[in-house]
Amino acid sequence: MINKKNSLIIFIVLIVGILFTSSVMAQETVELEMWHAWTGQDAFASEVLLPKIEEFQKQNPNIKLKIQVIPNDSYRTKLRTQAAGGQIPDIMQTYPGSEVQPLVEAGLLMDLEGIIDYWTDDLIPRDSLSAYTFNDKVYAIPAKVNYTHFAFYNKDMLKEVGYTVWPETYKEFKVMADKLKAKNIVPISLGNKAKWVLQSIYISTIGDRLTGIDYLEDVLAGERKFTDPAFIKALDVIKELADEGYFNKDANSLNDMEMRQAFYQKRAAIFFGGAWDIGGVIETAKEENMNVGIATFPQIEGEVAPKALSGVTGSAFSIRSGLSEAQKEAAIKFLKFFYSEETYVDLLRTGSFVPAKVDLPADISPQFQEVINLVNEHQIGPVYDAVLPINLIQTINNGLQSLTTGEMTSEELAQQMQDNL
Amino acid sequence: MNNKIKKIDKFKKIATYAILIFFALINIYPIFWMVMNSFKTENQISINSFSLPESFMLSNYTKAWNAVSLGRSFMNSFIVAGISVLITVAIGSLAAYFISRFEFPGKKLIYSFFIFGLLVPIHGTLVPIFILMRNIGLVNTRVSLILPYVAFNLPLTIFILSSFMKSLPKAVEEAAIVDGAGYLRIFWSIILPMSRPALATVGILNFVYNWNEFSFALVLINDNKLMTLPLSLSLFSGQFSTDYGMQMAGLSMALVPIIAIYLLMEDQLVKGMSAGAVKG
Amino acid sequence: MEHIYKHKKKIIYLGILPAFLLYLGFVIIPIFISARYSLVEWNGFSPPSFVGLENYAEMFGNNIFWRSLKNNMVVVLASVLGQVPIGFLLALLVNQKIKGRHFFRTIIFMPVVISAVIISLVWSMVYNYNFGLLNNILSFVGLESWVQNWLSNPDIAMFSVAAVIIWQFVGLYFIIFLAALQTVPDEILEAAKIDGAQGWKRTLYITIPLVKDSILAAIVLCISGSLKTFALIYVMTNGGPSHATEVMAIHMYDNTFNGMKFGYGSAVSIFIVVFGIVLVTIVRKLFAKFEN
Repeated sequence: MINKKNSLIIFIVLIVGILFTSSVMAQETVELEMWHAWTGQDAFASEVLLPKIEEFQKQNPNIKLKIQVIPNDSYRTKLRTQAAGGQIPDIMQTYPGSEVQPLVEAGLLMDLEGIIDYWTDDLIPRDSLSAYTFNDKVYAIPAKVNYTHFAFYNKDMLKEVGYTVWPETYKEFKVMADKLKAKNIVPISLGNKAKWVLQSIYISTIGDRLTGIDYLEDVLAGERKFTDPAFIKALDVIKELADEGYFNKDANSLNDMEMRQAFYQKRAAIFFGGAWDIGGVIETAKEENMNVGIATFPQIEGEVAPKALSGVTGSAFSIRSGLSEAQKEAAIKFLKFFYSEETYVDLLRTGSFVPAKVDLPADISPQFQEVINLVNEHQIGPVYDAVLPINLIQTINNGLQSLTTGEMTSEELAQQMQDNL
Repeated sequence: MNNKIKKIDKFKKIATYAILIFFALINIYPIFWMVMNSFKTENQISINSFSLPESFMLSNYTKAWNAVSLGRSFMNSFIVAGISVLITVAIGSLAAYFISRFEFPGKKLIYSFFIFGLLVPIHGTLVPIFILMRNIGLVNTRVSLILPYVAFNLPLTIFILSSFMKSLPKAVEEAAIVDGAGYLRIFWSIILPMSRPALATVGILNFVYNWNEFSFALVLINDNKLMTLPLSLSLFSGQFSTDYGMQMAGLSMALVPIIAIYLLMEDQLVKGMSAGAVKG
Repeated sequence: MEHIYKHKKKIIYLGILPAFLLYLGFVIIPIFISARYSLVEWNGFSPPSFVGLENYAEMFGNNIFWRSLKNNMVVVLASVLGQVPIGFLLALLVNQKIKGRHFFRTIIFMPVVISAVIISLVWSMVYNYNFGLLNNILSFVGLESWVQNWLSNPDIAMFSVAAVIIWQFVGLYFIIFLAALQTVPDEILEAAKIDGAQGWKRTLYITIPLVKDSILAAIVLCISGSLKTFALIYVMTNGGPSHATEVMAIHMYDNTFNGMKFGYGSAVSIFIVVFGIVLVTIVRKLFAKFEN
């Protein structure tokens, strides 16, 4: 029979029991809140990064990761709103350059100097961390290198106008494009609605080649200017591509899926994309029996850095500053597990480039091997939106649209960028 | 003469149907297109999104359902959207009743004060509301969504309801007051039943708004278990590629409840005064 | 009569109180906090610094802001002149006893509930320069010269987008009017019929005055909704090409969350509210004048 007294005793025993076990548990279990933007559509995430996170949780039952996946488009909005409210997660994906910089400047991130030797320089060259290095301190470790510029071309369509190989020079390229136009084929499929395409994919590589790969840093340091003739010349190339009608007419209202669709539907002979497109193109080409070649922009007269190829490191995690010792330890354990040699090798298998010095696995596809050979012929140059401050990214993104619609000249855009600096 | 009227009538009828069918066609097409593509593979969509599907394959539906736990998000959205609508309509109709049917000091001011809310852009309040919720410890709870959903829907609700209630004849409740009925009884048994069309309108609009709301849910919810439908549906796009097939399947499923709610309310929408408690 | 009302003032205020409090707490207070942000420079991460009215000065000196205001006025006008009359006409049509009215009532409302993602994808294809439905139809009926680059040409992109906005939200005004029409007793319409007041005359002289409150409500909703318009344009054109379809809410969002200028973004928010109050007040004054 349970009377009042008995139930009170049971109650007290229960409470003490719960408090006891939970305090013991608290000592053992560390909880970390983690945000990332890998929703699982891209092979590198679904086949490597996400399984890695799962594996870590299995191996470390006393480290509890509370994971929030936020799609890339909304990630910034969420992070910035919560940061404005004074709250950021313990481990979070951060984007290179000017994106992560304000978090660093506000002291929200822990610098990784104490542990960076674990990676540098045997696995990751210190240079590869530059997009996440501020005042000589590293704040994140990247998993990938995203080259932002490749030309994908339909070999059969080029053959139709007499080209069995990709043109060597820009001049030749224009002759070829004119021939394609004469045959009523759109030379280049472009979808620049989201505004970053002309900037990340086009001007980054074209600009790096004409101005040299140190140009942007020099401009930001005040040593050179955006009104430099070399930069104006780079803008002129894009303007010329638009003015000559080499792009589809509705380029500014298509998204990048529609851009690829036009290429697959053989409405256009070429499209420029990033390393992220390689896997999809190879696969679709196989299914559709398309003969696709991969190259980079042909040589332009007056190049300072020939064979520059814009690329930036990405898929990086940072750790919040002000974690408890136990949390810090757990977070570092995660980083060491996540950014391992094995991860980088697996990423290569999915057709991703990595910032680490690892041996190529023997079983990568021959197509990807070809692209690797292509990349090896090039030197890496900066991507504009990974280096420029945010207001200038907005200026150039919008400005390139204006350039192609004829609302602005190259000189005007260059001047505007200089003014906004 | 008679013939002429008949001719005019016939012409009017044809014109009516022509207009309605025209609207029906352009309104159906997007839904049709979405459903068609939900049955295709990623490749088929990227090659031609206009073609009919080769077969009614359901794998996008099952994949979408499992990949982002749509079942759970459906439940969350039902709870959040449903409770918000009930609260909004309950307190909003009460406020609209007093504002539209009575004279009292400060009435105009209060009314304008509510209308003011129609003009507030929600993105401008994201940061303040997040901070507010954080200070009262509600971040990452369903309540943190219900509160702004109710608050942001109140202006529209009060606005539509009071303009509707204003147009109801005054005579009905005057008679009831003489009978000695209290305010709340008049509200409950006369005004509310007569306002059914407007109640249905605001019910539908509130539900649509809450069901599709993304921004507040994005910044206020940090727990996968509490994610609402728009959040889950956004997970089909990655940084470099979007799974359109699964997205279309998910969006098609998300449309079903909202159409069901509309059909349910639509009957009330046109059950006018003649069907209400009081006739004429 | 009046004295009864006066006795129960307390009940009146108590009845309004719950709505008032919630609304105050989660709409009014946040927008006032936002007004405070509009006076600081703040990237959201580092501590804010007070700059007075500098954000407003920057806003009024910014060509892109003025362009977004102009674009926004296109949406306001298109909505008021498009959505309200079309919504009213459709409500009148399906308020008759016609076959299939259930179906039409549902289908006319549908665009309001379809996701902006789908609407944007479908309409982008309709507007597509090369194989879009619209240009195909124009060519087919021999109007090649009308063929346009609907979304990429900065001179017309705003109008193309505004047309989709009209289409998307007609259903909203449609159901508001449909509800309003239920307050017009059948007897009145019948009586008018017998008197010989035919067709549009009946509508003009009898129906419209009876639902004038709802019409005013619809116009006010239209203005306020248009000033906040965001989602559809954001996914359909992202405000481009080169700001041609950027409206105020996009200008604000872009600056706040992409440009990390919380102060400037808040200034734009406050402008949207104030500008809206001015517009709505003008409309209500005009309406009152019209009634007299």
